[in-house]
Amino acid sequence: MIEISDLTKIYRMGNVEVRALDGVTLDIEKGEFLGIMGPSGSGKTTLLHMLGLLDEPTSGKIVIDRTDIAKLTDHEKTMFRLYKLGYVFQDYALVPDLTVMENVSLPGMLRKDLNEAQCRVASTDILAKIGLLDRQDHLPRELSGGQQQRVSLARAMVNKPDILFADEPCANLDTENSRVVLDLFREINESMHQTIVMVSHEDWHKDYFHRTIRLRDGKVISDGTNGTKAH
Amino acid sequence: MGKKELKVAFLLALRSLQRGSRSSVILTILIIGMCFTNMIFLPAMFNGIGQSITKQVVDYEVGNVLVSPKVGDQYVSDLGATLDLINGMPGVERATPHFTKGATLKYRQRILGVSVRAISPNDEKYVSPLYTKMVAGSYLGEADTGEVIIGKPVAGDPSIRQEDEFQPSLGGVRVGDSITIDYGNGYVKDYRVKGIYFTGWSQADSAVYVTSTDMALVDPKAQDNADYITVKAKPGYSETFIKNELIQYGVTPKVQTTADLLSKSLGRALQSFAIINLVSLIVSIIITTVVLFIVITIKTINSRKQIGILKAIGVDKEVIMHNYGFQVIILAILGIILGMIITLLLAAYMAVHPIVTPEWSATLYLTPMDLVMNSLILFIAALVAGYVPAYQVSREDIQTAMRA
Repeated sequence: MIEISDLTKIYRMGNVEVRALDGVTLDIEKGEFLGIMGPSGSGKTTLLHMLGLLDEPTSGKIVIDRTDIAKLTDHEKTMFRLYKLGYVFQDYALVPDLTVMENVSLPGMLRKDLNEAQCRVASTDILAKIGLLDRQDHLPRELSGGQQQRVSLARAMVNKPDILFADEPCANLDTENSRVVLDLFREINESMHQTIVMVSHEDWHKDYFHRTIRLRDGKVISDGTNGTKAH
Repeated sequence: MGKKELKVAFLLALRSLQRGSRSSVILTILIIGMCFTNMIFLPAMFNGIGQSITKQVVDYEVGNVLVSPKVGDQYVSDLGATLDLINGMPGVERATPHFTKGATLKYRQRILGVSVRAISPNDEKYVSPLYTKMVAGSYLGEADTGEVIIGKPVAGDPSIRQEDEFQPSLGGVRVGDSITIDYGNGYVKDYRVKGIYFTGWSQADSAVYVTSTDMALVDPKAQDNADYITVKAKPGYSETFIKNELIQYGVTPKVQTTADLLSKSLGRALQSFAIINLVSLIVSIIITTVVLFIVITIKTINSRKQIGILKAIGVDKEVIMHNYGFQVIILAILGIILGMIITLLLAAYMAVHPIVTPEWSATLYLTPMDLVMNSLILFIAALVAGYVPAYQVSREDIQTAMRA
């Protein structure tokens, strides 16, 4: 599903070079629930952003579903993100002026292969799945942090992406809400055979992952499965 | 950009205005409305003054075309034949002669210098609305002699003391009173005041009118001469057409249209008005552009992270740009509508309460074309002001935007 070879990202700040990723090579299989863990500054989020086409590597190659990402134009990358990828961010990143339903529908509304009614049905289904259908007309500020993150997950899932990326989705949540959100991720992974790549720094989250890679100083220092992979 | 993308951009714009800062939206609309009013008010005012002066000159001085003596001549001579020739031309409603003499009016202890204008009352009705401006008494009859109509400012107000008067008057002449006119050529005659009129045009209001028949007694030259002839065109005939026709038909005296005359007398004033209008227009456009630029720039700066997120989830940069573009379009349309309402209310108010000076009175002169043109100019300025920051921010890379 995802093939990463010798991926390097160097940030230049004046005369100083920071090697955020240093020759990462990795394959991610379809249906996998992969956790990327490591201390702060280890390159977790940088790797996720490279995989999610939010940033460009300094060198190396990323192939997603047989598509070499480097060969895509800016517009093609946007469409790739819209049709094939889903994102959940640490701070929920919902549009504050849109209702829950509007936020969730937004990616679907831009798809050429969905009409308005189909988009509405897809949004309603996913909201029902995360248990927030009764809050569909609320604005994000009227929801708790956990609820907002669930809405963010619904928005990421409404287009049925090939890969779901999550950047520390529980960082702003307490343990109870974190479990609710992680349970949802696991349920989506198991029921929909959804490929998920999640960055986390909480050690107990690894129980949810099929496979965990650990980064330090931009390098993969461990890559192991825990034998709970679905299907 | 497809229909779906535009729809999403419009939804984002609408929701941002509906659910964002209401005070900011109202203030922006108010500023655009005021700028629109400012853009249109001053030119409309000046146009109103220009139109008012033009109308009054047409109504009380020139008609549509003025036939005056050739250079070197004192009068338009051979009056009967000239009038017959002009009145027989297609497009001419009526031509009527004017013969004016300076004179001194005497009433009780008051003495006042005025112009006495001799007219043919019936013909004058076709050229000038003077006969409809009587505030007391009645208009002159064709064969009246010994009777005069005078302007209200000439008649004066008996309740105002002479030393308090804005302009000299006879101190309160009423219809039926007798006044003495001394023509300065030894001819002195008592006249009965038949009527008092008020036109709002100072040159007409500070004159007195007698019939041509009466003037012929004062000065025999008035029988077959005129200082000038005013010509009224029939509806649908232009002044230039009549002028060219008069020249073609061999009317030998000097022929000028109202526009010819006004371009000389009012030309400099109109040029000054045009410069002031242009400055006012430019200032309004700059204010609107700067305000909208600041509003949209602040919005985009405050929303950089959100813009980054939207791009991350697959929203195209064009959608993001048009989102802000639509916000500006909505704000501009609402501002222009508000401006139009304010302008029309001002126009309605000024129609009832015109600006009145001793020389002229004026209201706002608005045409649908003025409203459309100014709306269009403001709308384009608003679009530029909104799209420039929107374009800049929509081109920012995702990482930079998300880190904002």
